[in-house]
Amino acid sequence: MEGLIKLLKDGHARTIEMLALELDTTPADIKRKLEFLENTGIIKRVSFEVSSCGGNCGSCGGCEHSGDEKATCKSCMPSGEVLNMGEMWEVVGL
Amino acid sequence: MSTATIALLGQPNSGKSTLFNALTGLHQHVGNWPGKTVEKKEGSFSYNGREYGLADLPGSYSLSANSDEEVITRDFIASGKADVVCILADSSQLERSLFMTADYAGISVPCFLVLNMADVSREQGKQIDVKTIEEKLGVPVILISANDKKEYEPFYEALEKAVEKKTMLNVSSLENTYEKINGYSEIKNIIPDNLIPGYSTMWLDVKTLENDPVVMEKLKSAMDKDALAKIEEVKRNAKGAIETGGAKFAWIDDVLKDAVSDSKDTMTLGKLDRLFTSKVWGKPAVVLTILLGLILSFIPALPLMGIGMVVSALKAPVGDLLTTVGCPEFITAILCNVVIQSFSFIFQMLGFVFGVTLVFGLLEEVGVMARISYVFDNTMGKLGLQGKSVMPFLVSFGCTMGGAAGTRVIDNWGQKVLTIALAWAVPCGAAWAVVPMLSTLFFGSYAVVVIVAILFTMLLHMWITAKIFGRHLVKKEDRYGMIMELPPYHKPKWGALLRYVLGRTKDTFIRVSKVVLLVCGVFWVLSYSFVPGSDPILYTIGEAIEPVTKIFGLKWQLFMAFIVSSIGKEGALGVISALFNGGNFSGAFYDAMSGGALASDLNDTLLANVTKPEALAFIFAITFNMPCVVALAATYQEVHSVKWTARIAIYYTVGAMILSMIAYHIGLLIW
Ligand SMILES: Nc1nc2c(ncn2[C@@H]2O[C@H](COP(=O)(O)OP(=O)(O)OP(=O)(O)O)[C@@H](O)[C@H]2O)c(=O)[nH]1
Repeated sequence: MEGLIKLLKDGHARTIEMLALELDTTPADIKRKLEFLENTGIIKRVSFEVSSCGGNCGSCGGCEHSGDEKATCKSCMPSGEVLNMGEMWEVVGL
Repeated sequence: MSTATIALLGQPNSGKSTLFNALTGLHQHVGNWPGKTVEKKEGSFSYNGREYGLADLPGSYSLSANSDEEVITRDFIASGKADVVCILADSSQLERSLFMTADYAGISVPCFLVLNMADVSREQGKQIDVKTIEEKLGVPVILISANDKKEYEPFYEALEKAVEKKTMLNVSSLENTYEKINGYSEIKNIIPDNLIPGYSTMWLDVKTLENDPVVMEKLKSAMDKDALAKIEEVKRNAKGAIETGGAKFAWIDDVLKDAVSDSKDTMTLGKLDRLFTSKVWGKPAVVLTILLGLILSFIPALPLMGIGMVVSALKAPVGDLLTTVGCPEFITAILCNVVIQSFSFIFQMLGFVFGVTLVFGLLEEVGVMARISYVFDNTMGKLGLQGKSVMPFLVSFGCTMGGAAGTRVIDNWGQKVLTIALAWAVPCGAAWAVVPMLSTLFFGSYAVVVIVAILFTMLLHMWITAKIFGRHLVKKEDRYGMIMELPPYHKPKWGALLRYVLGRTKDTFIRVSKVVLLVCGVFWVLSYSFVPGSDPILYTIGEAIEPVTKIFGLKWQLFMAFIVSSIGKEGALGVISALFNGGNFSGAFYDAMSGGALASDLNDTLLANVTKPEALAFIFAITFNMPCVVALAATYQEVHSVKWTARIAIYYTVGAMILSMIAYHIGLLIW
């Protein structure tokens, strides 16, 4: 766990696989620790769902329900079906 | 008949509800926990002459007091209402889901462990030696599939055993691990026994280290100042939850050692990922991928360009037809020079919208886009931004407004403003429609070179912009890393992808049609000579400003198109359409227009009237102009500062003119 924290602190981006390689463990081990750190509030999952136009999309004509803050603007962003961006976490408090 | 109350404890999705429903059938009722909006499910069943009451505790990750669910769960267990707690774990991911068990250890209510999802772990080829785990834990352990009622016999037996023998988790090896933690032993000596009934000192000690609010509150009321100060002192030097969490995972691994045989595949990075994540080759690989994507996106564009040409060719026959049937000249002119001309342009452009959207949608869907954002994370850092800023940039390729809205994930205001300021430099969907089309028109297959040049200019622009604005917006501070779970590469779902691309092309078509027709109409009217022999207003203005606009390499018509492009980049096409129109029926305007070569086809007219350096200047000018008024509004909405919104807008307008001038002079050197 402390090895993981050390790697998270150094400012580089890493994938789960890279963390596993560097710490000589399995991706599953990294994943459970990330889940723990997320629940502890040390890291935060970055949600890109907010990439909506916040109801301000009169002109792009893409939102199904404008006014709904969470609605992703369809013509700005591919919808969930197509989006395959993986997950991202940022370190918030250490 | 004897009775016993059981509580179901487990993380979300561990199968509590499934088990609960299977056990109680219709004997259940649903309510709320007192004072909370958390659902409370209770029920009953009987087995082997014993009546069991069953309570489904709310699912939570652990037993820390972070949420209502966790507090309810803890209170219920501590209240002593349950005789036995049934802990659920997911047998298909034991090393992860036994965390709840590890967190439970030290609570003095008898328990037993249900490893659920036996079917899933079996399918994974995992062999779980339940007996070994049972020996290590000291409580009954069973492996079942909760959704298969035929498998429930072992469950009932384990339950009976736990109730009769009051089986408790064996915590000695866990405590051994805890003892290695900084501060554990010191705190253990300070905490009074039985501080909160139902919890062992070990458990309270760990929660103290984890800074659990409820436990800390209890400590404050139960202990004197000196003891408290000592605890605070110990905690200051301890690493808290990071260490206790690590200890719990270590214990789980110890419990599972020799108990789970896993066909563990050794970890390797795929070939492609080794390339993308390589320090040296990552960036070139990404840049090459994007370039290739752009070139490929031209392929579907070409047929639609053909359609656009055909539409344009309709102008002459339709015009002739209208004249012969005696249609007023003004109307004929509007139909031919505004409507047909605009649609010709729009069709030529749509192909590029389709192509670019398709290629980038594809890159995203197969998982390459995620790798791209990974590769640029460190670059983001050098610009003073967080890695997640890359998402707004990617979104801006589609729509700057979406990019601006996407910066909502960035909490730091300065970084947010800087991200938006840089996102403006990313050519948006409208630019990707207009620019490739104009480039193809003027430079043929060299359009690809122009696009490459635009991409590199974009990177340079972003770098310079970051240098200019960065100082005022972001402080050089320690930057934490970023963790990414790269999605597996997978085959595209063509149906969903095509639906998205077509939907977006349609949206663009509608929006662009409105803008181009409107702008073209307005400019056409302004350039129409109503009084024969007199100069149209626009021409007079144009002639007056041309000496200045020439400095930037732009003819006055193109300069007006540039100005209009700040409202919306498609608008530029409307202006060109109106001002360079070959078949201006009034004639007078055309004569006045420096006697430029006349051709019935606009494309030819453009080629005859605009030199290549001028075209290049114009293309750079509109690409790097401010994206559109809506993006301006969206920017204001996110940054909440008139000053910064105005600054960015002026910066981009001036910047575009400078780039235009540079492009013009480079063009002069080439041609
Ligand atoms: N394959 C398989 N699926 C199961 C099994 N047990 C439960 N599930 C499924 O797992 C999912 C989650 O089960 P639930 O019973 O809703 O889990 P829960 O713990 O009540 O979840 P929360 O209500 O979120 O706390 C459901 O889709 C169940 O059908 C099992 O043994 N095998």
